[in-house]
Amino acid sequence: MRKQDASSFLPLHNNWFHILLSLVDDEQHGYGIMQEVLARTNGSVRIWPATLYGSLQRMIADGLIEESDDRPAAELDDARRRYYRLTRLGRKVLDLDCERLQEMIRMVQRKRKQEAY
Amino acid sequence: MNRRLNFCLALYRHLASAYPHEFRMLYGEDLDRLGEDAVLEVWRRHGLPGLLRLLADIAVQLPAMYLREIRQDVAYASRVLAKSPGFTSVAVLSLALGIGMCCTVFSEIQSIVGPPPGVREPGRLVTFWWSTASYPYFERYRDAHQVVAAATAVLGPVPFAVAFDGNSSAKAERFYGHMVSPEYFSALGVTPAAGRFFSPETEKPGMPPVVVASDRFWRAHLGADPNAVGRRLRLNGQMATIVGIGPKGFQGIWPGYTADLFVPATCDASVAPELSGDPLNRHDREIFRVVLRLAHGVTMPMAEVTINTITRNLDREYGVPSGPDGKGRMLRLMPAGTFMYITPEQHTFVNTFNVVLWALVLSLVCANLANLLLARGSQRRREVAVRLSVGASRPRLIRQFLTESVLLAFAGGLAGIALAFGITRVMSSLPVPPPLEFNCQLDFRVLALTLAIALAAGVGFGLVPALSSARVDIGRTLKEGAQAPLRGYRRFGSRNLFVVCQMAVSLMLLVVTWFVATGFLNTTRLNVGFETGNLILMSLDPVRDGYSAAGTSALFAALPDELSRVDGVRGVTLTGSVPFASLTSDRANTQVASQTGDGLGGQTLHSVFRDFIGANYFATLGVPLVGGREFDLRDQRRGELGPQGAAVPAILNQTAARELFGGENPIGRRIREGERNYTVVGLTRDVPSGFLVTRPVATLFVPLSAEWFRKNPAERITILLRATATRSTQASVRNQLASFHSGLTVFNVRTMREDLDRLNAFVEGQAAVYITLGMFALLLASIGLGGVTAYAVARRRKEIGIRMALGARSRQVQALVLKEGTALLMTGSVLGLGGAYAIARAFAAYSETLARTFAMRPNNPALVFSAPLVLAGLAMLACYLPARRATEIDPVAALREE
Repeated sequence: MRKQDASSFLPLHNNWFHILLSLVDDEQHGYGIMQEVLARTNGSVRIWPATLYGSLQRMIADGLIEESDDRPAAELDDARRRYYRLTRLGRKVLDLDCERLQEMIRMVQRKRKQEAY
Repeated sequence: MNRRLNFCLALYRHLASAYPHEFRMLYGEDLDRLGEDAVLEVWRRHGLPGLLRLLADIAVQLPAMYLREIRQDVAYASRVLAKSPGFTSVAVLSLALGIGMCCTVFSEIQSIVGPPPGVREPGRLVTFWWSTASYPYFERYRDAHQVVAAATAVLGPVPFAVAFDGNSSAKAERFYGHMVSPEYFSALGVTPAAGRFFSPETEKPGMPPVVVASDRFWRAHLGADPNAVGRRLRLNGQMATIVGIGPKGFQGIWPGYTADLFVPATCDASVAPELSGDPLNRHDREIFRVVLRLAHGVTMPMAEVTINTITRNLDREYGVPSGPDGKGRMLRLMPAGTFMYITPEQHTFVNTFNVVLWALVLSLVCANLANLLLARGSQRRREVAVRLSVGASRPRLIRQFLTESVLLAFAGGLAGIALAFGITRVMSSLPVPPPLEFNCQLDFRVLALTLAIALAAGVGFGLVPALSSARVDIGRTLKEGAQAPLRGYRRFGSRNLFVVCQMAVSLMLLVVTWFVATGFLNTTRLNVGFETGNLILMSLDPVRDGYSAAGTSALFAALPDELSRVDGVRGVTLTGSVPFASLTSDRANTQVASQTGDGLGGQTLHSVFRDFIGANYFATLGVPLVGGREFDLRDQRRGELGPQGAAVPAILNQTAARELFGGENPIGRRIREGERNYTVVGLTRDVPSGFLVTRPVATLFVPLSAEWFRKNPAERITILLRATATRSTQASVRNQLASFHSGLTVFNVRTMREDLDRLNAFVEGQAAVYITLGMFALLLASIGLGGVTAYAVARRRKEIGIRMALGARSRQVQALVLKEGTALLMTGSVLGLGGAYAIARAFAAYSETLARTFAMRPNNPALVFSAPLVLAGLAMLACYLPARRATEIDPVAALREE
């Protein structure tokens, strides 16, 4: 696979951002990702199944995530599911997008301050 | 779980199962499980809208997933095709050439026999078979409403001297136009782009001249002026108002004889000498071509019956003799909705001939493509087996192959369209003598059909190897490599059959196109029988320069004498028709009866071409007479009927003499043409009368006389000069004419060699198309055979390796490879020669035109043997190259490889 520049993925698609964010701490399976996004956004963002797997397939193809052979503790493991984790590129892309978002927030804040004066 | 949930889950699973195979292999189970896990939770949280959203998601993603796969397929196919540039370029090139050639040949012909642009329902238009009618007759035909919906009378192409800025001293340019009856545009169903057209209400006899300009004229010479309607032009010295502009593309009823100006025949005669002598009311001035639009449901034979009844009634009314058999005239109709004035026989023939050529080329292209794709398909069996073994689905593989062939077919198709456009443009720019116009337009229906067939063939033959490869025995193929036998692939299987067909079709094409091309070239290289380089032709049109009929007559009587005194002129003569001026032959334009010596015996009617010539015509041309004498100035000065109706001298060519008098000496014999009597005073040998004609036309030469000039003032006359030095003589003659007759415009000054060269260029251009077609057939056949042989060598690599390891010599290996190619070649050649012979026979039986060309040739050993020999030579070369490569196989490497 040819090496892709991390900045070429920016701005990240909303679903991709949430998927990458869900994988930051730990590897996850599809259902886990869906649940975590729901919980994190208080139910306002739901990645539907076909969209989720379509995104996972493309993100794997693009090298942002990969399948993981590490399984969680036996009592938590669902042997029939596939687990995914971030690649180095995926982590870099997520960081860059976070920076981009932060910069935007800072811009908005600066603008608000100017208006307040 | 309630029923709604169950139903939703069932639908979800159903949709999920429709996802692409490769996606399902990776994520199918997860997708199913996620649906099962999510459905209850979605129901609880969002209720029915949530379930609908879940289903909508999986339904919307489904086509997107397939699109993504197709995109991958296209990218993969492009990479695969780019990796084998040889195969790709040969396939694209042969497709492109095939599509390009097919479209060009067909479009070219359509531009000659096809319908004229801008005319409504051209299929209902008919005209008289090579005959003209007088205006009073036309009016009666027009009023035969039971068979004729509309009719128009056309006179032309008529030259007009056009000056753009009104004042009489402005320099005039020559344009061609039609003098038409007021119903012209309505009968043809043409509507004006601006202004108005003529109608019987507005165009009354004798009214001031008006003119309709063609769109082309408007753009090129009126600067596309939006206010052109109402502008005035000087036509032949008379002011005429532009009343309308024709629609785009419309160049008259026969655009082959292009018309830029349309003037009503009801105008005052001062605008065109053709209208002098009151032709609108004279039944004996048969100068109009009549075009009839048949009423709905009326066929040509039905119309013929009515028209002939009307004609016979009119003949009786006007006291026209009813001919020797007393049955009266029989007029025949022919379709008029064609680009040029051509007979139905030529029309059907040309169409059939080109459909056959088109089918041959197309089948050749398809066979070639089939060969290439089949050979390639079998070479890729290992790749297929590998992909199947790592989990690719068979439908996906088939789709992959399909994508490749569609891509290939599209590339070829696009290149073909570009080529067709290019060739038709080049052909349109071939020079043709005015007023002829050759505008080759690409026929889009043909293009679409050709493309569709070529694409279907590409896709179809791309699919065959895919389908059979997908049935491949994976284990065995992986173990044995390309040697593994494949169902449906026998030694003399479909591919060999295709090669044989290809050889046969190529040979047929080659022989047929060769026939036609040599026929064309033979007629262009016609031996005119005299020196044309220093024969100067110049045209005069004194009537349009303001000369009266008497003045014209006096001018032509004086000219030969005046010009013969100019330095460098060895001979001068006048003629009404320029020899070889037309592509087709001059047609018989009159009927004469030969009489026995006493003038009382039986008469037989013969159709001949009557040509008016001046004194010393044959001497100036350099054609010696076979017997008798030629016309002198006395003949030319005499009235046409001669004193007291005495016989006029006439000269016959050998064909006419043979037809009229058999083997007897014609000198001194009498001929009757209607009321006129001729005495044969001379006999000349046959001189070819035009291009594309191999048979001489029976010709009766009659002297140009003062009477003739009086009767036909509008006919232009060509002066023929035999000069010693062309350039300087041309200048001296021009000076002489300018000093003696200052108001006289001399135009079309050229040598006969130039005249012939211009026509040659056109005919050679046509021949070049056929020759290219033949070469293309050769090329395709060689590519096909070469490809198949190369494939055979690749397939037998191991076997050849073993043979060489066991001591086979290079020559033996080469012979082994060549043997198979030769067998295919021989079979194809035998079939092809048979097919070519059958086609030639069919055409010869079908058309007189090409029959003559064919008839000269089937016994021509050079052609019958050279075509297969050339084909065989090229094909053997195509076989030899892979055969030589076979000898370079390293036995050790070949054996170790597998």
